Amino acid sequence: MEAKAVAVVDTNVLLNLATPVVDGRQKAPSGSDPLKTLLMVYNVHVPASVLGELTDATGSGDLLSAAADLVLQAADHLTTHNVEAQLGEPLEYGLDRGESECIWLDNDAGADLFITDEFNTTNYLFVILALDDRNILFTTPHILCTLASHEILPSEYVSAALTYYIDTKSWDAQYIDQLRHQKLEQLD
Amino acid sequence: MSEKKTRVDFNAPQSLVKRADTVVEILDISRTRLLIDALEDELENLANDEEFRRRLSDAFYHDRIDYDTVETILGREEAMRMKLLRASIDQSPAIPQLEDGLPSDDEFYNGEIPEWTGANPSVDDESNG
Repeated sequence: MEAKAVAVVDTNVLLNLATPVVDGRQKAPSGSDPLKTLLMVYNVHVPASVLGELTDATGSGDLLSAAADLVLQAADHLTTHNVEAQLGEPLEYGLDRGESECIWLDNDAGADLFITDEFNTTNYLFVILALDDRNILFTTPHILCTLASHEILPSEYVSAALTYYIDTKSWDAQYIDQLRHQKLEQLD
Repeated sequence: MSEKKTRVDFNAPQSLVKRADTVVEILDISRTRLLIDALEDELENLANDEEFRRRLSDAFYHDRIDYDTVETILGREEAMRMKLLRASIDQSPAIPQLEDGLPSDDEFYNGEIPEWTGANPSVDDESNG
């Protein structure tokens, strides 16, 4: 068996994957667990600061806080790295420290994937630049579609999750619709 | 900066032209200046208007408009973001591998899965990017 691909992910990706799992409302998709799935199919690495960001997000009793609790309960499946000491200043381009650490780790580890949901703003450009244009940058909705095309997650679940994200987040709906069209509809 | 100009003739309601001329007189500027300013303001407003951006992006994703058009309207960074994001759809990430199926929740998670049911309506769930 080949070794699993190494993925570096940022805090928001983990939270976004956990959100539908802990959201007990009717509009949340159910029947699968995208967080558990991602952590099982890839070898997921994060800077240690991600755990701190998750802990900061807990305790407020809202959806985000429940999602952060769930990710922390799965923390044994994350490989953490102490990047802080090695990264003096945040990378250029105005990216925040957390994102900079993830990119630094990704480049340092020569990871196969970098997953971020920073695709709504021009930060997306800066992440691409910082990753040296290695074509390894993917988003949560893209990865979910990939998991459907490899029959690891049901395509009905992924389709419902995409709709859920469009409804609950201000994500670029045209991008997600296009992903759905190109990646999911051909599976039906 | 002197840019090449195009002459535009158009008909407008008389009352509107009259109002514009009053304003022009008060501001002591030319009618042309007022129209150019108004047009620039409107284009800038549209570039920041969510519905317009949605339609523009839709047109771009469906190849009804090209990159240069998006760049003219939204600026280079935003146009580039849309272009690269669109191109990324055709890329495939490293292959996910699942060896023996997924473990049970008990095996995987360190504790019960929390459930949030919207009991706290004052909290907005759109805060994380």
